Amino acid sequence: MSLTEAETATAVRPAARRPGAPVARSRLARRRRRAGILLSLPAVALVIALLGVPVGQAVYYSMTQWNGLVTTWIGPSTYVSLVKDPIFWRVLENNGLLLLAVPFAIGIPLAIAALLHEHVRGWRFFRSAYFLPTAISWVVIGMFALRFFSATGVLNGLLGRVGFGPSATDMLANEHTALAALAITFIWSMVGTNTIIFLTGMATLDPTLTEAARVDGLSRRQIFFRVTLPLLTRFIQFSFVITVISAFSALFSLIFVMTSGGPGFGTTTLEFFIYQAGFQQVQLGTAALYGVVLFVIMAIAGLVQLRLIKPDDGGGW
Amino acid sequence: MATIPAPQYQPGGTTPRNPPSASSRVRRTMHRWVLFILMVVVAVVMLYPFWYIIDNAFRSAGQFDRQSGHSLSGWNQLFANLPVASELLNSTLVCVAAIAIILVVSTTAGFAFAKLRYRGSGMVFLLVVSALMVPLQSILFPEFVNLSNVSLTSSYAGAVLVYAALGTPFATFLMATYYRGISDELIEAAVMDGLGYERTFLQIAIPLSLPAIATITVLQFIQIWDDLLVGLFFLPTNQRTITAGLATLSTGRTTSVPALMAGSLISAIPAIVVYLIFQRHLIKGLTLGMGK
Repeated sequence: MSLTEAETATAVRPAARRPGAPVARSRLARRRRRAGILLSLPAVALVIALLGVPVGQAVYYSMTQWNGLVTTWIGPSTYVSLVKDPIFWRVLENNGLLLLAVPFAIGIPLAIAALLHEHVRGWRFFRSAYFLPTAISWVVIGMFALRFFSATGVLNGLLGRVGFGPSATDMLANEHTALAALAITFIWSMVGTNTIIFLTGMATLDPTLTEAARVDGLSRRQIFFRVTLPLLTRFIQFSFVITVISAFSALFSLIFVMTSGGPGFGTTTLEFFIYQAGFQQVQLGTAALYGVVLFVIMAIAGLVQLRLIKPDDGGGW
Repeated sequence: MATIPAPQYQPGGTTPRNPPSASSRVRRTMHRWVLFILMVVVAVVMLYPFWYIIDNAFRSAGQFDRQSGHSLSGWNQLFANLPVASELLNSTLVCVAAIAIILVVSTTAGFAFAKLRYRGSGMVFLLVVSALMVPLQSILFPEFVNLSNVSLTSSYAGAVLVYAALGTPFATFLMATYYRGISDELIEAAVMDGLGYERTFLQIAIPLSLPAIATITVLQFIQIWDDLLVGLFFLPTNQRTITAGLATLSTGRTTSVPALMAGSLISAIPAIVVYLIFQRHLIKGLTLGMGK
């Protein structure tokens, strides 16, 4: 990025670049600064007003009792009571269990990407087909999943045909199986995005490397695990972060349509409990408290992600 | 050079540099077929829900239970219970307005952060991009109270602003990355020619960045069209988007499955059409910064 450095240098010491016209250059630099501030202002204002300020408010309200109109200050002790609250741990446990889906949500797309990367006839069509679910909403996915997992649904129909007929159960009616159903739906939904990430990664690999490995007598499997996979590390990390962020903050619609958080607390995750505490119980302070916890988790994941995408790479254009 | 065929090696074979024998050719063909069949299996798993939705949208409740016969009664029930046309219009208006705001603020800010650096602009850029980490759920109620205090939740305005704010960090990051790829000399030359920074931005930078603008538009369209949370909270009931309308219809439990499938189908079609046309741009945006 030597260009950018040169440019910064010009902005700071304009006279140093062209001794011939120092006055004109510095006037230009001033205009450039003014234009820069002016043009970046709308984005900054929008983000601060609608995202930054509410985060501050959420931190404040997390230490209060708040019903939307009346606010009673309690103080940081709300965080102590939170840690002692079994419901908090129950909800967090659901988030933790959902993380068990992450290896599948990465491993399956990795295998699919490897399959597509063989470039067998028709692979472009299949790539489009696998990516298609990315276009539809979690609401529509949830609508289908609800019918897929229900007692009279597609899954039990399939199982019945293979000979598990009498044991047909409604997966969504039991706490543990409901979370499993949610996790399976989540894994299916992530296939498109993660496959595309890995396919992009494989396209950047130097084909002579795998060719060399083949000459050395490595089998296809050995080439995949010893050559391809290590070179994809950055892409796997990237999809890992995206998958974790999705598991924590993109499943609201799916839960809303499929289970409404139930049965019991079976599928109530952090993000869904915020909605329940605020919307159904009108305990907006509690909702803010859970919101802050969710935000901290997302911020950690986001920091990892920012390191991975390296803004100075210049992008893949 | 291209006319010389690359030497063929037997996969895992003990003696490389052998010409391809008949058995190895058979093995290769077999291998290709196995891969093809695997791809078909995955395609069935990924596309089955689409088939299920289409198939069951054209049934009555009774036909759904029996899983035989087709009719339009699901559609009749859908249109009787959900103002489909006006909700499609709401979705369109909200999408267009929010995307317009996102494009304006992200192209200007992206250009400023890439080409018009000022003291501290790097920090400001980081501030805007770090807003990516804020999940709406975390700030749901403060946001709602703020917006209703300035009475923006009784019309499209509140939802449009929230969508715009949520989309801006990534869009700004994408635009800044794109503008960094444009040479400084080009911008300098335009400014020296007397265009000034504002007109250089409008007449030089914007036309050069149309691919990135397309990527943002497609990404945001699908994101906003498919969103439930904002539509549910920040829009008055009579101005709901199709996705929010459909989700609330489904919680009613009285609506028949075929009607819900019909609603799913009609709500999914616009996003699918956009996806099919602009697939390339969508993929670019998704993997930005990851490719070489």
